[in-house]
Amino acid sequence: MSQSNDAHIPDWNEVRASLAKAARERILILDGAMGTMIQRQKLTEENFRGTRFKDWTLPLQGNNDLLVITEPRMIEDIHFDYFMAGADIAETNTFSATSVAQADYACESAVYDINYQGVIVARRAALRAEAADGRRRYVAGALGPTNKTSSMSTDVNSPGHRAITFDQLVVAYGEAIRGLVDAGADLLLFETITDTLNTKAGIFAAQRLFEERGIDVPIMISGTITDLSGRTLSGQTPTAFWYSVRHANPLTIGLNCALGANAMRAHLAELSDTADTFICAYPNAGLPNAFGQYDESPEFMAEQIEGFAASGYVNIVGGCCGSTPDHIRAIAQAVSKHKPRVVPEAQKFLRLSGLEPFTLTPEIPFVNVGERTNVTGSARFRKLITAGDYTAALDVARDQVANGAQVIDINMDEGLIDSKQVMIDFLNLLAAEPDIAKVPLMIDSSKWDVIEAGLKCVQGKALVNSISMKEGEEQFLHYARLVRAYGAAVVVMAFDEQGQADTLERKVEICTRAYKLLTEVVGFPPEDIVFDPNVFAVATGIEEHNGYGVAFIEATKIITDTLPHVHISGGISNLSFSFRGNEPVREAMHAVFLYYAIQNGMDMGIVNAGQLAVYESIDPELRDACEDVILNRNPEATDRLLALAERYRGTAGKEAAAKDMSWREGTVEERISYALVNGITEFIDADTEEARQKLPRPLHVIEGPLMAGMSVVGDLFGSGKMFLPQVVKSARVMKQAVALLLPYMEAEKNADGNATGRQSAGKVLMATVKGDVHDIGKNIVGVVLSCNNYEIIDLGVMVPTAKILQTAKELNVDIIGLSGLITPSLDEMVHVAAEMEREGFDIPLLIGGATTSRVHTAVKIHPRYERGQAVHVNDASRAVGVVGNLLSKDTKVAFIEDIRAEYAKAAAAHERAESEKQRVPLAKARANAFKPDWTGYTPPKPSFLGTRVFEEFDLETLAKYIDWTPFFQTWELKGRYPAILEDERQGEAARQLFDDAQAMLKQIIDEKWFRPRAVVGFWPANADGDDIRLFTDEGRAEELATLFTLRQQLSKRDGKPNMALADFVAPAGIPDYMGGFVVTAGIEEVAIAERFERANDDYSSILVKALADRFAEAFAEAMHEKVRKELWGYGADEAFSPDDLIAESYRGIRPAPGYPAQPDHTEKTTLFRLLDAEKNAGVTLTESFAMWPGSSVSGVYFSHPESYYFGVAKVERDQVIDYARRKNMPVAEVERWLGPILNYIPGPAIVAAE
Amino acid sequence: MKKPVEQIPVTVITEPGRLLALDADTALLRLPANSGHGHDDGSSCIACAMRTDVRALLFDLLEEAKQGLRPKFTKVMVDASAVPDTSVVVAALTGKLPAQALRDHTVARLFYLAGTG
Repeated sequence: MSQSNDAHIPDWNEVRASLAKAARERILILDGAMGTMIQRQKLTEENFRGTRFKDWTLPLQGNNDLLVITEPRMIEDIHFDYFMAGADIAETNTFSATSVAQADYACESAVYDINYQGVIVARRAALRAEAADGRRRYVAGALGPTNKTSSMSTDVNSPGHRAITFDQLVVAYGEAIRGLVDAGADLLLFETITDTLNTKAGIFAAQRLFEERGIDVPIMISGTITDLSGRTLSGQTPTAFWYSVRHANPLTIGLNCALGANAMRAHLAELSDTADTFICAYPNAGLPNAFGQYDESPEFMAEQIEGFAASGYVNIVGGCCGSTPDHIRAIAQAVSKHKPRVVPEAQKFLRLSGLEPFTLTPEIPFVNVGERTNVTGSARFRKLITAGDYTAALDVARDQVANGAQVIDINMDEGLIDSKQVMIDFLNLLAAEPDIAKVPLMIDSSKWDVIEAGLKCVQGKALVNSISMKEGEEQFLHYARLVRAYGAAVVVMAFDEQGQADTLERKVEICTRAYKLLTEVVGFPPEDIVFDPNVFAVATGIEEHNGYGVAFIEATKIITDTLPHVHISGGISNLSFSFRGNEPVREAMHAVFLYYAIQNGMDMGIVNAGQLAVYESIDPELRDACEDVILNRNPEATDRLLALAERYRGTAGKEAAAKDMSWREGTVEERISYALVNGITEFIDADTEEARQKLPRPLHVIEGPLMAGMSVVGDLFGSGKMFLPQVVKSARVMKQAVALLLPYMEAEKNADGNATGRQSAGKVLMATVKGDVHDIGKNIVGVVLSCNNYEIIDLGVMVPTAKILQTAKELNVDIIGLSGLITPSLDEMVHVAAEMEREGFDIPLLIGGATTSRVHTAVKIHPRYERGQAVHVNDASRAVGVVGNLLSKDTKVAFIEDIRAEYAKAAAAHERAESEKQRVPLAKARANAFKPDWTGYTPPKPSFLGTRVFEEFDLETLAKYIDWTPFFQTWELKGRYPAILEDERQGEAARQLFDDAQAMLKQIIDEKWFRPRAVVGFWPANADGDDIRLFTDEGRAEELATLFTLRQQLSKRDGKPNMALADFVAPAGIPDYMGGFVVTAGIEEVAIAERFERANDDYSSILVKALADRFAEAFAEAMHEKVRKELWGYGADEAFSPDDLIAESYRGIRPAPGYPAQPDHTEKTTLFRLLDAEKNAGVTLTESFAMWPGSSVSGVYFSHPESYYFGVAKVERDQVIDYARRKNMPVAEVERWLGPILNYIPGPAIVAAE
Repeated sequence: MKKPVEQIPVTVITEPGRLLALDADTALLRLPANSGHGHDDGSSCIACAMRTDVRALLFDLLEEAKQGLRPKFTKVMVDASAVPDTSVVVAALTGKLPAQALRDHTVARLFYLAGTG
């Protein structure tokens, strides 16, 4: 069909100007319903088919849009009738003409033509009408919502699912818009909007086309509100909806459809108040009545709409469903008596939206952005996200909003997860939670593709954090245009090609340059720009740093003065970095800084509001000193604050307590209580002895002052005022006192057979399961419980099920607690549970340890033990409450009921979450393998082949490689080192623990407590599919061993590969190599820990184990560096600090079998055989493939520059069968070891019947 | 431990005359017979679809209670005796009908089908 012949291409700038002029002079008229008029024609299937669709296989009746092709004259006449009834603008008959909606009729191929012809027939009618009365008419190309939604799921059982994506909608709308524009539509009208995100995709498509062609077609946008809550179908308020689409710079915003004009009034009033553009309203002709007819007559509807006009709400009006030319005529006449609404000037405020709007008005001095849903800022959130526990992660978001966060920051930048996919999944789930989704989101990532993926999921107006000129002007402009096209506001870091701005001049210069580019080149609204001019540390002793605070404040002033309407944000905690550990001084510095920065224009920040001191309440001397430093008022400022700071350190530090000996003056009971709470052993022997002499019986000392003191400890711990390391220290005091009393109690018992022993609150049996050697967590729980008067029977590590059950029977215990760290232990725990059921136990079973989870307990363990109750206890602080509830007659039943309800929910949620993750067949995953370009790449050759043993490693050197963050996690102190030392709540406990650890570390080094050993090996290797073949020598003829790897089967988007470790090794023909290692801190740790235990010093016992673990990890890190720089040698010139190493910024990886990149623990057997690890390093494997001694690390080395850590996640049956065949291992056995990652229920496969 | 949300039971009456006396804390929702807006058979605009969609109407009940337009309720009785095909009502209340709006997710969480009669 030759179409361009009839097309009349308007000058859209002229159209915009003339319409705007007309709309300011009078209320313009839009036409009425098309469907209603078509229905009157009583058409048959043949009318719809015409000649073009004569042989269509599907029925086409009801596909009204086709009529522009098959009955063009009829549609033209309807348009003409409306024009002659008074309409200035006709809507084309193209409401459903997108490939998405036309799929119902298989008419996708006709989409372009429908849109094109839709304009042509309307234009013909317009020309006829203009010829008849000389008044200009306009044609608006109608774009419906499509029949799918991108911002929510159609399945209430699967809220994260999406039937269509933003990208698919961009394509679909793009095609429709091209048809409309090619045919010369005067306007584009997005109408009956049910999903704002769909419309944002439509706007995106339109603007892309406009940019391509250098045109600017005026856009009209019209939403729909149908229920009492006054929300759109996708849940937004009218204002939130307006903020979401305002970036389209539409000619009109408004509402259509809905249950009659009256139902629309209040929402129209709201839009009329806020929108700084024309308002267009075209309601339905009332409510449908029992006979399927609309109940508003032309006169009645006209009266209602006249009401809009009289109130000054509207610039354009018309009719939707049920309206006819008679309605339009009556409406046109009614509103002709009224003046159109005067478009208000909108103040240039930052306007964001979620389901509800947020406007940053001058009354809001400072926007507190919620920081807890940021994996880089919150350890807890990171854990939940990496564990895939989205339900709990959403609760974190919910709590933030409930606690008043006005915006929440979402950041998924974590190396071990697919940040982009997780961002998408999390935002999609969040969208179904109205109590979270009501606030705007800050989409935060250092990776643009993650930001972009996030922007495609949010219907509201989000804030991007951040972009900068780091990669040059062109890239900056590219990102900025896209941010704008997605309808978001932006944080811009003061960062350019030269680096981060540190001086006033650079900050102002970069921000000014960015502002000019954004506002002049991109046309970015200045009120949508938030600058982050970089907060740096002051008072560091380096003279140049003294001016950083004042540079920020002055830059803030100049930027906000000279760059109108922008906002300023920044990360405050950097400022006081040199006062780490001195919380009072830091808080004072932050408060002073914000006091001045806010006065000078700073109005946003990711800060913990709870941690801010009030400026006025700071000690004036300290405040003055802080001001000197921050404002750089004199050269002595730093020295003065440093001197003053010493005085404040005491208020949070331990010195004050140590120096203050006044507690020794109290009664013996008071002294014992004090010693317990403060963990002081120095005087406990003397005080216990004094108490023993004072009280009638030694038992009374325990049941009196000691228990009283411990109950204070318990209360403080329970209320979060004491932390785990402190409690363990208290327990040490307690144990020492009890040890002193025991001989007297024994003597008493011998003298008098009737003397009763100590009454415990209950007997708890604890064990690390068979095959597992890790016991720090278990020991900590034991200590905490014993503090609360429970009797602990600790069977140690690697305990077989039979022994656990036998001991439990013999000693008649009240509860059993199981611990384990490696994944095979999960199965072992299931086994213990099943055996308890079989043997008729009904006592509670506690489950704990790093790989255990609430979901695993709910899904796998709980159903196997129905006579009793399995309970997951994720940390020691919860253990006391759980055990107390389970052993109390009063609470037990209710508590168990709650647990069961919770587990049922967790299991259901898990099933739902699993069913949402799409997985692909193995063959498809393989086809999408990571394929590095091997041409032009020569894999580096190691300096030796075979194995080499390392026995002399300096402990002091290794200590520098220690990553302290996990050390604090062991003690349930959550946060990153070193920030944790200044944490408001846990800082004091963390500092005490750190001091103790440093003291012991010094002893370990000076006295050579550990003897670390390592073995490293390299072998010629080539990938063979998903396997890696190792050869005996360079000839590569004789195979030495095969390492098997597993491949990701997650459905990947946007070209991300399905990874397997084998992808990092070159295929046959290219000489490549692999390495392997086992390192251990040594066996000495075990004996040392036992020695401490015998001395009733659990604290030191746990401390030495935790440090041995850290040494092993540090050793692995140091060895890896040696491998890169020397043994393999490909990174000879790398120069990273130990901190960089912890951040894993180097080339090459060292994944361990049993962990996310290769979850199969049994692969360790091959590695240990290759390295002869038992002989060379003294490390053996248990039946569950845990390493003994426990403080050991093993893994394989990859050198490929693009190698990285990934998680295999769940695998399907097809891969398991294939893997079993390759490994020559029975499928059932593979399924047993891979139990936690199977994406199906093991058992016979269901084969479809023929 | 977080308390699970208390769900509101919904009973659907499918036959005329089965409606019994209501408790004070029960809200009655009468579903109209399917009605069009002057559309073709089988199609309807979102506004009239909402008029017969039990989920949208339950959401409005909540909203009415929230805005103080009606007393609070703990149970709902849906009179669907005028509805030609009540299986649609049951499907909507058991999560089997595709969600059209965010409110459908809210309704799915807050209500459950307690029985039909």
